[in-house]
Order: sequence, then structure tokens, then C-alpha cells
Amino acid sequence: MGEGEPDRDRLVRGHLSFHDVTEMVSRHAEKKAPMAWYVAFAVAFSGTLLLLALFAYVVWNGIGVWGNNQPVGWGWPIVNFVFWVGIGHAGTLISAILYLFRQHWRTAINRAAEAMTLFAVVCALIWPTFHVGRLWAIYWTLPIPNQMAMWPQFKSPLLWDVFAVSSYFIVSLLFWYVGLVPDLATLRDRAKNFWRQRILAFFSLGWTGSNRHWRNYEKAYLLLAGLATPLVLSVHSVVSFDFAVSVLPGWHTTIFPPYFVAGAIFSGFAMVVTLMVITREVYGLKNLITIDHLEKMNIIILVTGSIVGFAYITEFFMAWYSQVEYEQYAFLNRAFGPYAWAYWIMMTCNLITPQLFWFKRLRRSVPVMFALSIVVNIGMWFERFVITITSLHRDFLPSSWGYFTATWVDIGTLVGSFGLFLTLFLLFLRFVPMVAMSEVKGVMPQADPHFHEHEGNGHVEGDGEPYITPAEPALVKAYRAGGTEDEETSA
Amino acid sequence: MADEINRSSFLKWLVDPIESTNDVAKRAYRFVGNRRVWLVPLALGIALLTVSALGLVQSPEDFFFAYLAGWSFLLTTALGGLFFLIFNHITRASWSVVVNRINETLVWAFPLLLVLGVPLLFGMHDLYHWTHEALYDPSSPQYDEVLAGKRAYLNVPFWSVRIIVYFAAWTLLSYRLYTFSLRQDVDPDPELQKKLRSTSAWGLPLLAVTTAFASYDILMSTDPHWFSTIFGVYFFAGGTLCAVAVISLVTLLLQRTGGLLQNVVTPEHYHDLGKYLFGFVIFWAYIAFSQYMLYWYGGIPEETVWFQHRLRGGWAWHSAVLVLFHFLVPFLILLPQITKRSTVVMSIMSVWIIGMHWFDLHWIVLPVIRDGGGFHWLDITCWLGLTGIFAGALMYRLGRHPLVPQNHPYLGESLQFENM
Repeated sequence: MGEGEPDRDRLVRGHLSFHDVTEMVSRHAEKKAPMAWYVAFAVAFSGTLLLLALFAYVVWNGIGVWGNNQPVGWGWPIVNFVFWVGIGHAGTLISAILYLFRQHWRTAINRAAEAMTLFAVVCALIWPTFHVGRLWAIYWTLPIPNQMAMWPQFKSPLLWDVFAVSSYFIVSLLFWYVGLVPDLATLRDRAKNFWRQRILAFFSLGWTGSNRHWRNYEKAYLLLAGLATPLVLSVHSVVSFDFAVSVLPGWHTTIFPPYFVAGAIFSGFAMVVTLMVITREVYGLKNLITIDHLEKMNIIILVTGSIVGFAYITEFFMAWYSQVEYEQYAFLNRAFGPYAWAYWIMMTCNLITPQLFWFKRLRRSVPVMFALSIVVNIGMWFERFVITITSLHRDFLPSSWGYFTATWVDIGTLVGSFGLFLTLFLLFLRFVPMVAMSEVKGVMPQADPHFHEHEGNGHVEGDGEPYITPAEPALVKAYRAGGTEDEETSA
Repeated sequence: MADEINRSSFLKWLVDPIESTNDVAKRAYRFVGNRRVWLVPLALGIALLTVSALGLVQSPEDFFFAYLAGWSFLLTTALGGLFFLIFNHITRASWSVVVNRINETLVWAFPLLLVLGVPLLFGMHDLYHWTHEALYDPSSPQYDEVLAGKRAYLNVPFWSVRIIVYFAAWTLLSYRLYTFSLRQDVDPDPELQKKLRSTSAWGLPLLAVTTAFASYDILMSTDPHWFSTIFGVYFFAGGTLCAVAVISLVTLLLQRTGGLLQNVVTPEHYHDLGKYLFGFVIFWAYIAFSQYMLYWYGGIPEETVWFQHRLRGGWAWHSAVLVLFHFLVPFLILLPQITKRSTVVMSIMSVWIIGMHWFDLHWIVLPVIRDGGGFHWLDITCWLGLTGIFAGALMYRLGRHPLVPQNHPYLGESLQFENM
């Protein structure tokens, strides 16, 4: 317990007891949804319907209704795909990577972030599906034995995408569900209604919270975290390979894999901040999702934003250093060509504005972080736009230079994908515990076996010697005394 | 007393800028070794470098490239240690406090490295093809249009200024992180902890940018036609991996041979160090593979040439060794929990990874002059000679101060630390 570190191990504010946490979180999944939820849902669902209608229109009329043209074969659909996959990465970072790093503050936000991952991946997968010209033959990308004895081309990063994103979705879903089981059992035990009990009993898999359950659960969770971590890094690296394996100036560069991953975490965290700021306000979770949580997320946004900015500078420098005229032109064209507006939006939003988070006062100001998190996501959408469009519209042959203009279908589907995302997120808020209750309880001071101890060696009676013989018993004793500050807890 | 920086001799400042604070060390953290700890590696290092000087007469080119590989090995390790220390400060890590001092001791290396780098200046003409004036003379048969285009960046005066700037930045950062922490041993002022964290915060972007550009200047420009945007990350990944291995190895040596840090560094801490080794083995492989795969896939001649050199002739074996023994074997060994908690396995793996990191740099540097692969005796003597001097200085510093930052606010937590 450091001096001047009030927020260390004080993840839950307001002297809550275990019961208070259960009440706070479960209530929202049990009570009737308020009017505001229905209003929000109606808006979001109309976006979903718009998306479906436009996709039907695209399939019926052909992909010519999008703004793509001959030099720019990849337009907004791919931009949106990379954008949504990127959004999803923060959830896995929070749930898996921070778990491996024993960052206990993740417990309050990991459930919502994981849900966000799933929905973002759903929103991502629709783009590669619908941007192909012949949707009905898309199963040819799967290596299924068939009467033509034809197989997909395993050297194509677009095929790697199929495997990467689909396995990412499956693992994320499993990870999220495994984490949910104890909480669903809590809801099951609180359920009053016959059908509600039955449904929750089915989904909580007979969880009783026995010691053996917990042991296996923790092991499973750790293994899934260990598997999800390389998975999440590889998924966005594979997405970056879509560009980087080509020979196109502006696409073909080796820094793409780690740089795309950093950008994904950057935009994903921004989205988490956007959603959490609203959620904690509306659902009264300020004692669980505290300002310290938000501040830590903002620090991660600052770090990853700086990494992304550093990658921009590296690319620019290497374009000059390489002395390859095409590469040099590609970057000059980005900064001063017809799409300079997009490039400078990207630069401003991603490199310059997040630097405001160097100031503690701004990091901890809710309006500032809310505004900035939206700015970051605008910037990250433009980053993908800049990479995709500006590299395509002018490359080796000046005779095949063009310009890309989005059509109303492009705009409508992008708006619709936000509708789909919010529809799913609102359903999650309505039916599923939005904070991992069991995990939050695990990091509360009351969960520490030494919590009720005030004398002795800090161990309960009959526990014998501590596991590790400390080098400085006095220091350890002082630490323990500091770790159990007398707090009035409403037991 | 600890505030007095000893300016009496430059040599002493190079090795340790702070007067010995061993007298304030609590019993559990007091260094009780004798002089052999640092004299033996130092003597070996000086002897090996003296032998290498004979090689300088015999074949200067081999000497300079071998020296560059050995020196880069130490530089990347020191930089990796600086990154690792900064990460732990910024994230308020408590598990690492018991090995922090060893990390800090590793980090005060840049002034010494700058001095050890002086011989390279005499080999600039051999090492860096772009220093040849004829390349820039349009009437000369050696005229090189591409290099002439890069001349604004690759020229000796500007290059020297950049190197000085990098070293100034690294020295400043390591000086602050090292000395604030040593002062904390004497005076548990909470301000010092804040200073350590704020230095880490502004130091991280500074360190990242300087490290990346240093990697282009020192290693990438040995093959001045070739370029790769990920090269700086590659440099960082290998260096950090090696730094964690050095920290583990020094801790193990103190514990196993000196009987120090008993019950301070426990299997719990080795477990975490092992996790970091494991993680950075994967990270290094990810970066190395990304760089290779993207160039192989694109197949653009000016980019593949660098790998062509390293996959033909004798170098193909080196590349295979890197894949197998820099990645696959450490990956499989460090995967289970039990190996990371075993001091025997961790000792072997630390030494192994340190050796492989040098092998990696050897694979980057030497193909520039040698087509057939293999080793020259100078490669080994330069590397071990430089490492001996470096290790001697490190052990000497370590013996002058408490082995653990004894007033660190999270020390109690660190001593208490348990993984499971």
C-alpha cells in the first residue's frame, strides 16, 4: 500500500458490500426496461433495418451501387470492416491481456467490453460478406471437399481473414460465456418467474459455485485468456496483411502488423470509453466503473495513440529514405493530394488530440474524455479510409488514376452498421449482467482472507506458516496492517 | 551523502555516478560478495579485447563488423532494460520491485557504451558503405543514384550528431531513473516515487523514437540500400527479451552463488520473469516473421535482397537456427508453468536467450561482408570481451548499493507477491 496512492486496491467505491454489488448489477436485467431504453432501441433497430434493406438492395442490383470504381476496388466496405474489427480488439485486450497482467481494474469493464467485441465482430463480418460480387458463392472460401475438386487459395490473406475473424468470434464468444456462467447462476437464483428460472438454469449449466467448480473455472479462464491473447494480436495482423502483402505503394510496408494492432486497441478503447461513460451514468454504476477506471483507459488511449502516431512518422520517413519514387509519391499524395482533407483529419484526431491526455485534469474529466473518444474513432475510421483509398486511387500508372466518391448506399450501410451494433449492445444491457459481479467481488477488500484480521501474523487460526518466508517480517506485517484499513462495511 | 555525485574521476562516473550507499542497506539487501565478482569478468573482457586487437591488424573489416555485432548486443540489452524499467514504473508494477535494482544497475550503461563504441569510429569507412565519397560524384563509376538521394540523412556529420543526441537522451533517462531510486534508499521521500513515474512517462516516447532511429542509423544503414519500417520494433523486441534474460540471470547468480536475496526473490518472481521471457520470445518471432513474410510475399527486388543474403550460402543455416532456437525451443520450454518456476531451467534459458540474442545480431550484421556464413574467431572474442567489461561494470555497481530499492512503497507487496 503506497503512500499517496489512494486508488490502489480501491476499485470499488462507496463502501459497497457483496450484496450491494449483486443488487446494483442484477437489478437492470430484472426490472422492466425504462422508456428511455425503448426509445434508444427503436432508433438503433431502425438502423438495423436500414442496413438489412440496403444489403438486400446491393445483392439484388449488384455492387455497382457502391462508390467503388476501377482503380479503387476497395472502398468503404473494407474501410468499415477494418474499423469494426479494430473496435472489437479492446474487449479482448481488457478481458484477456489485462487478465494475464493481473490488472484488477479490468473486472468492472470486461463484461461490457467483451460484449462489445462480439457485436463489433458481427458488424465487421458483414462487410467481407456483402462486398463480394457473388454472395451466393461465398462458401467457396471454405475448404470443403466438393464435386469440382477445387480448394481455396491458402496464400491469400483474404482467406486468412475468413479463418482469423471467424475463429476470433468463436473464441471471444466462448470466453465471454465462460465468464458469464457464475453471474447467470446468480440471476437464476434471484429469478422469481418460472420461465425465467428455467431459461437461466439452462444457460448457467448447473453452476453451484462449489470449490471444484471455481478451480476448474479459473483454469479455463486462464487458458482462454492465454489463447485469446495471441489470437487477438494475430487477427488484426492478418487484417493488416490484406494490405501489406500487396506491392502497392502505401500498402506494402512491414510495420503494418504491430501498427494495425496498436490502432485497433486505440480505437477499441475509445469506443469502450464512449459506451462506459454513458452506461455508468444511465445505470448508476459510478461506484463500480469509477473515474480511476476511465483514467486508466485514457492512459492506454494515449499510449496506443502515440504508437500509432509514431508509426505514421516512421512510414513517412521510410518512404523518403527508401528513395522509391512511387512510395515517396504515395505519401506526398496523402498529405497534399486530393484526399489531403482526410489525411489531416486523421492526423489531427489520432496524433494530436489524444496528447491532451497527458494532463491529469483532462484525463479525469468525463466531458473531455467523451468528446475525445468520439474524435479518436472518427480519426481511426479516417485512418483506414486514408490507407485504403489514397493508396489505390493513384499508384504506378498515371493512366489509371481516379477518384473515389461514396454513394448514398455507402453512407447508409455505414450508418446502418452502427444501428446493428447499438441494437445488439442495448439487448445485452437489457438481458445480461453488464458487470462481471463474481469478478468484481473477487477484488473487493472483503474478499481478502485477511480482511477481518487485526492481529497475529495475518493468517487465520491454524493456518501455520505463510507460504513464503518473508525477508523482512516487520515490513510484511506493516503491509498487512495497511492492507486492512478499518472500513465501515455494511455487511 | 547519497546526493554527492562523485566527480573525482571520469572513469568512476562511467561505471557508477553515485557514491556507495551500501552502509544504509538493510541486512537482507546487503551485498556481501568480494571483488572477484566484478574483477574476473572485467579481466577476462580486457584480455579478450586485447586478443581481438591482434585481429584488427590481421583483418580490420572482420574486426569492425564483429565489434559492431558485440557492441549492438550490449546496446540493445541496455535499451531493453530501460524499456522494461519504464514499463514497470508506469504501470505501477509491484511484483518487479525486488528485481528493480538489478534492472536499474543494468540501465546505467550508456556512458560506458559510448566509450566502448569509440573504436567503431575508426571503422566507419568499412562499416558504412555510405561514407564513401565516390558514391556521390556523378562523374565517378561508383556513382550511386539511390544513395545520393539519401545523402541528406546518411552523412557523417549529421549521423554523428544523431548518435550524440541518442546517447544524451538515454544517459539522461537512465541517470534519473538510477539515481532517484538510489536516493530513495537513503531518504523515503514520496516525491522521489513521483519523479520516477513522471520521468518514465515522458521518457517512454523519447526512448521509443530514439531507439527506432538508432536502429536505422547503427544497424540498418550497414546495408544502405535496404529499408524496413518495422526494423526499430525488431531491435526493441530482441533487446527487451535479452534484458529480461540478463535480469533473471544476475538475480539467479546472486542467489545461487552468493546466497543473497534469500526469501526476497522467490519462485513467484521467477515465474513472472519467465512469463516475460516467454512473451517476448513470441513477440520477437512475430515481428521477425512479419518482416520476413511481407517482403517474401511482395517479392520486390530492392526489399528481398537483404533476406536473399541471409538465406543463401552458409547463412541459410543461421536463419534456420534462429527460427528453431530463438523461437521454437524457448517457446516450448517456457510454455509450462513448472519450467518458469524452476531456477535451474530459468538459469539455462536466460543464458540461452542471451546467446541467441547475440546470434540474432550477428545474423543481421555479418552477412554484409561475409557471403559464406559461419563465424570468425573475432566474432566471439569481440562479443565476449565487450560483454566481460560490461558485466564487470554491472557487478561493480551492484556491489555498491542495496540490492533492492528498500524504501520503495510497493516493496511489501512485492515480497508478499504470489502468482496463484
